[in-house]
Amino acid sequence: MAALTATAPARPRKLLASRKTRVGILYALPVVVYLLVLFIYPIFSTLLLSLKSADGSFTLHWYVEALTGVNLSVLITTLRISAETALLSLVFGFLLANAISRLKPLWAGLAMLVVVVPHFISALVRTYGWIIMLGDKGLVNESLAGLSAPGAPYQLLYNELGVVIGTTSMMLPYTVLLLYGVMRGVDRRLLAAAASMGAGRVTIFRRVYLPLVAPGLASAGLLSFILSLGYYITPALMGGPNQTMIATLINQQVTKDNQWNGAAAQGVILLLLTLAGLLLVKLVSSLGASRKKRSAS
Amino acid sequence: MAEFGVATPSVEVAGGKPATATGKSLSVVALRKTYGDVVAVDEASMEIAAGEFVTFLGSSGSGKTTTLMMIAGFCEPDSGTITVGDRDVTRLAPQKRNLGFVFQQYLLFPHMTVSENVAFPLTLRGVAKDEIRRRVGETLEIAGLSGFGGRKPRELSGGQQQRVALCRALVYRPPVILMDEPLGALDKKLRDQLQVEIKSIQQELGLTVIYVTHDQEEALVMSDRIAVMRNGLIEQFDTPRELFERPRTPFVADFLGAANFLPGRIEKHDGEHTLVRLEQSGGLLKARRHDLTSGTEVKVAVQPGRLRACATDDGFCTGTVETATYVGTLVRAGVRVDGGDAPLLRLEVPAGRGPVAGERVGITAYPEDVNLFPSEQGG
Amino acid sequence: MMELRKTLAGRIALTAVATVILLFLALPIVVIVVTSFSSNAFAQFPPEVWTLNWYKALFADGSKWPAALSLSALIAALSTVFSLIIGVTAATALTRSELPLRSAVYALVLGPLVIPQIVTALGLFLLFEPAAMLGSPLAIALGHTVLASPIAVLILIATLRGIDERLEDAAASMGAGRLTIARRITFPLAAPGMIAAAIFSFITSFDEFYISQFLSSVDTVTLPVRVYNSLTFEIDPSVTAVSAILIAFAILALGLVALVRWLGSGRQNSLLSVETATGVATPGGDAI
Repeated sequence: MAALTATAPARPRKLLASRKTRVGILYALPVVVYLLVLFIYPIFSTLLLSLKSADGSFTLHWYVEALTGVNLSVLITTLRISAETALLSLVFGFLLANAISRLKPLWAGLAMLVVVVPHFISALVRTYGWIIMLGDKGLVNESLAGLSAPGAPYQLLYNELGVVIGTTSMMLPYTVLLLYGVMRGVDRRLLAAAASMGAGRVTIFRRVYLPLVAPGLASAGLLSFILSLGYYITPALMGGPNQTMIATLINQQVTKDNQWNGAAAQGVILLLLTLAGLLLVKLVSSLGASRKKRSAS
Repeated sequence: MAEFGVATPSVEVAGGKPATATGKSLSVVALRKTYGDVVAVDEASMEIAAGEFVTFLGSSGSGKTTTLMMIAGFCEPDSGTITVGDRDVTRLAPQKRNLGFVFQQYLLFPHMTVSENVAFPLTLRGVAKDEIRRRVGETLEIAGLSGFGGRKPRELSGGQQQRVALCRALVYRPPVILMDEPLGALDKKLRDQLQVEIKSIQQELGLTVIYVTHDQEEALVMSDRIAVMRNGLIEQFDTPRELFERPRTPFVADFLGAANFLPGRIEKHDGEHTLVRLEQSGGLLKARRHDLTSGTEVKVAVQPGRLRACATDDGFCTGTVETATYVGTLVRAGVRVDGGDAPLLRLEVPAGRGPVAGERVGITAYPEDVNLFPSEQGG
Repeated sequence: MMELRKTLAGRIALTAVATVILLFLALPIVVIVVTSFSSNAFAQFPPEVWTLNWYKALFADGSKWPAALSLSALIAALSTVFSLIIGVTAATALTRSELPLRSAVYALVLGPLVIPQIVTALGLFLLFEPAAMLGSPLAIALGHTVLASPIAVLILIATLRGIDERLEDAAASMGAGRLTIARRITFPLAAPGMIAAAIFSFITSFDEFYISQFLSSVDTVTLPVRVYNSLTFEIDPSVTAVSAILIAFAILALGLVALVRWLGSGRQNSLLSVETATGVATPGGDAI
């Protein structure tokens, strides 16, 4: 019996496995085809266009143009505003997430609702809300005038301050959500353990708490930086001419100047910056994971 | 290899089989399953009679669950055949086999009520509505669940959920019901109660049940026959009594009876008995007749409950009681045997007549209770 | 639970900081809703005289808003259908089968969520412009699906992972065929997740701006593009009322998702559960 059946043992199992594989490929087909045609292919054609001169030959002209003169300063502005936004949303996000992680569940739930709900309201609408609030007769200036602050009303719109306020409020839900998750994962008994060894509050914060949440902080900061890079609505509506960001420029070149190649080159630069940022995030999180693993073993 | 095939229905099996059995027979021939280089089930064969309660007993990794999954159709064998009644189901999808399956995790459909869960297999079979209502009510009543039909599974306790799962497998009268550690998630008391209930339902309805467990006691309580499995092999397939009293391998003797093992050598045969010279004490032990030639190195296996303390000059060896633990109706004693530093010999004797620590005793056993295994046989 | 003792000063500082930052998030939204009822629709807060004029103006003759609204709704509906088809198939492939290159497929799905939307929009413009499909609602819906379908896929993956696969085995053991299992077991259990996926696909498309702007023509202006234009070029006070309606719409949709999940979970979780809200808020969370 054993000798007879041993000759063709693996066949039915392989059939079953290949059936499951066939089903998998069949069901994965729609999403793969769809995204290849409407996502990957367009990005490749953008890349090709950015390397093509008017007569169709290969050129780096558009990249040179994108990295010189006014375009370069736009790129630098983009990086600067993104960095400012990342820093602010990291600080605010840290403070808020830290506060929420210490609240009672009901209050924490309500607070998270206030964080999450705006995230699902159109950024356009929220930006408009800021415009109403920050105007000369808006809520902020009226309140400051009511407190008889010297020099009120202040110019809070159509400058870098306005842009950073706006983009920070757009990025804040991301950093709060990310950091809240990280902070809930911190075992608070570790802090008590440190206190039992005689560590003061500042020492506990600096030597125990901060190292535990550091990878989360790094990812959250990087993430809001990346997301700000390609941001368009808020800077365009709340900034002045000096706050033109790269996305605004791409939009102008396509819709107004009909300058597709230049737009494509800038799009590719934006894409590369984003991918580099994502790579960093990945690096940081794998660093954090390996540290966790080491401390666990 | 492990073909203890032919059904030898003992007295217990025949007695438990009612005239109106709904169960069918099941036969498994040379079933084999490998995962890469690991042989999960190695040429397992067995014949299960209609109306029989059979348990696959073994620790995890023994192949018991894999065998059950192959019978159910959730896992395809590399080779071998599975026959239900006279239908070969080896290559059929699970839904075409018409078997019943009770899972350890109950797996009740959370979006359906208890009644809807139990009715589900009947609706699949196109049974008329009135008939469904009647049979669901009837089945729930058997399981003591009348009045729970409108509840959702999550509103029931673990024991109740498992009863519903049982109903769902019973209601369409499948020819064979497979159960994969169905009581594993329940506490001891509930488990004991449900063991009795499942057994009595099985006998009443004449069901063929294949039951998987790692709990020896559960297997002994419920089964007509038990297949003891290890490393993908069926070590022995027999009635509980045979397994307990006539284990065929040292593993079975140890797994079911927690036997004491003593090394020795066959001295001679004497009519109904075989005499063994023990290595450690030099004493002569009388066992029931075994077909082993004189001079063979053997392992002597005797269960703790079958050893008796006696006067020091009456036993096959002597020793000193080192520990004596009172455990209710029994005293568990550990005896240091003279003439070596072998592990303590374990005895279970009725409380009240038990030896006390420090006492000098002789050890004896009825020849019927002594099993001999050739030393080269693993264990 | 062993924890550091909280000081009173610490607690007050904590509450104050949390309140200020929460106001920072919530105020712009509150201000719009209040201003939409104000007689002076621009930059004055709080309003002196209350009115419904801006809402009435939305539906007055010659208003461009109803057309924009219906166009956006049409596109969002199309995009939702596409996203659900893609989402159900892809989630099935990724959770219920053996898929070669699984992680590559997963990365492809996450791609549109992490790549700047302006890049995606630019690529789609370069794809549809030569095909003379600019201004086609279908093209815009196809474009929105690039952003909406990954969200649907992620929600449905989570949904299918949450359904014990062995329930399907249990049904099979009783004789249920593949179709019956899908219809009577998997679908009813996945329904809350599918509704959530549909709602989030719809919102994603309905609020999408970049792709709409690149692919729109004079005749096809979606609601967000109309809002943007009215904020930059043609000052139209009704934009406040539109914004307030969009806010109400988003909150309604989120409430619906929470309700469906609550019903689906057997009313065990709190309706306000943070996990309910955040579980869907960061669908790309594990990408980063």
